[in-house]
Amino acid sequence: MLSADEWRILGTSLGVAGRAVVFSLPVAIAFAWALSRPRLPGKSLIDAVAHLPLVLPPVLVGFLLLMAFGRRGPVGSWLYDTFGVQLAFSAEGAALATAVMSFPLMVRAIRLSFEAAEPGLFEAAAMLRAGPWDRFVSMVLPLAGPGVAAGAVTAFAAGLGEFGAVITFASNVPGKTQTLPLAIYAALQVPGGEALALRLAAISMTAAIVGLAAAEALQRWSRARLEG
Amino acid sequence: MSAGVLGVEGLEVGRGAFRLRASFAAPLEGITVVFGPSGAGKSMLLSAVAGLAKLSAGRVEMGGRMLEDAGAKVRVAAHARDIGMVFQDARLFPHLTVRGNLAFALKRRPADRDGPAIGEIVERLEIADVLERPVRNLSGGEKSRVALARSLIAAPKLLLLDEPFAALDGKRRRSFLAMLRAESAARGLPMMVVTHQIEDAAHLADYIIAVRDGDVVAQGHAAEVMSRPTFTELLDARDQGARIDAGAVAGSAEPGMRGVWVKADSVLLASEEPRGLSARNVWVGRVGTVDREADGSALVTLETNVGYISSRITPEAVAELKLEVGRAAWAVVKTHAL
Repeated sequence: MLSADEWRILGTSLGVAGRAVVFSLPVAIAFAWALSRPRLPGKSLIDAVAHLPLVLPPVLVGFLLLMAFGRRGPVGSWLYDTFGVQLAFSAEGAALATAVMSFPLMVRAIRLSFEAAEPGLFEAAAMLRAGPWDRFVSMVLPLAGPGVAAGAVTAFAAGLGEFGAVITFASNVPGKTQTLPLAIYAALQVPGGEALALRLAAISMTAAIVGLAAAEALQRWSRARLEG
Repeated sequence: MSAGVLGVEGLEVGRGAFRLRASFAAPLEGITVVFGPSGAGKSMLLSAVAGLAKLSAGRVEMGGRMLEDAGAKVRVAAHARDIGMVFQDARLFPHLTVRGNLAFALKRRPADRDGPAIGEIVERLEIADVLERPVRNLSGGEKSRVALARSLIAAPKLLLLDEPFAALDGKRRRSFLAMLRAESAARGLPMMVVTHQIEDAAHLADYIIAVRDGDVVAQGHAAEVMSRPTFTELLDARDQGARIDAGAVAGSAEPGMRGVWVKADSVLLASEEPRGLSARNVWVGRVGTVDREADGSALVTLETNVGYISSRITPEAVAELKLEVGRAAWAVVKTHAL
């Protein structure tokens, strides 16, 4: 059904979006937990930072990443000198750009499920000798689990379509950083590439719809569980 | 403060405009009832002892161990106090089965602590049939028993119970109270039970702490405190009455029951020794006081060999029976009224 090129593009997209989720999940859980605390100093600042990628132009995010993580950027040069890792223009770089862009979506979904958990349950766990870390691992995460998964799947589906930040930071390298939207863009630059662009668009839409449906199902499961 | 006592000194804790102040020393044995009307601060007192509510002043000590001292900024976290709690709304973990909930408690019990096995508790509290079920499919009574089982398996040094039987009716309520008395006795586990029902308080209490409007108004052994005016003032007119030791009552006392509350409304008075009666409980005594109540009725208190018994009758009956202070009279109570 799909050509070798199309499979490669789909594979790159899935790989980049998947890695993006893996990178951002632990950070998003930490942010969501902090933001779900009712009394936290500096909460509105943390909230603003978490939502920044939502309001900044994606190209600007890509540019800022390039400034920081490029070969001559402060973080990028340190990474290259210490580990020999180069993020700009690599698949990992595309994943980093995608992770930053889908971060607010993920934090929002996870935070909702943290906030939905009944605080009385954590008191009950404390009265059975569960300390704070124990309660987080044995109560908070399992109760919020489906919500966390829903956040991850939403971020994954959104990540498949990230364009501006990826092309600015990681460029458009076939087989490395050329994800579905980048391939569509490239196809449209070539005379007679509309047919290929249309096929890629169909693949892209199918993947996004499957992702959204999965996220919705997980959210429903999450609510049913928390309402126990 | 000696060992074997839950000592609370100058405790102050608040939520919004409400402030609770308490000082007491409750023995760490048997059952202590925290009694008072709704909104008196009973649940808050339990939360403060449990470590779920932070003290703004005062100290809490248990068996010689300092749990919290607001002045010295000492505070043992709730999970490290070795105190268990059964909540009014059960608070079973919805992501686990009944067995999962019990195993949660067992897993966190210190290895060197003697405590009941899951199988034993499940048998005693009659929840074997629901062991593999998700907790959302349980009835109210089953939820209370699972919550109690979970706390017993944790084997704390003190178990706090915040009216976990409030939602249970008549027979199921009495059987839950009987379970509490049996478990406390079988494990030597001291319990502190909140209730606003005078009958429950009489059934359970060895020791009683009475709370009103955020203040402790009376404390001491149930037999002594429950006859004090400062205690009976807390009761509605309909609940006025007297506590009698369960041992003095014929017929209705259940195993482990500490006392019964004889309501003034269910006591008949006779000026001569009654004969040919179906009632099993007849006590002779002398009239101690005759008080005119706000509703026009008369409250007559008899001093008998089982303690004070009060009866609410009409002023006409007082006159007809010539119930003057000092004269002999008989109090008659139906078994089913106890």
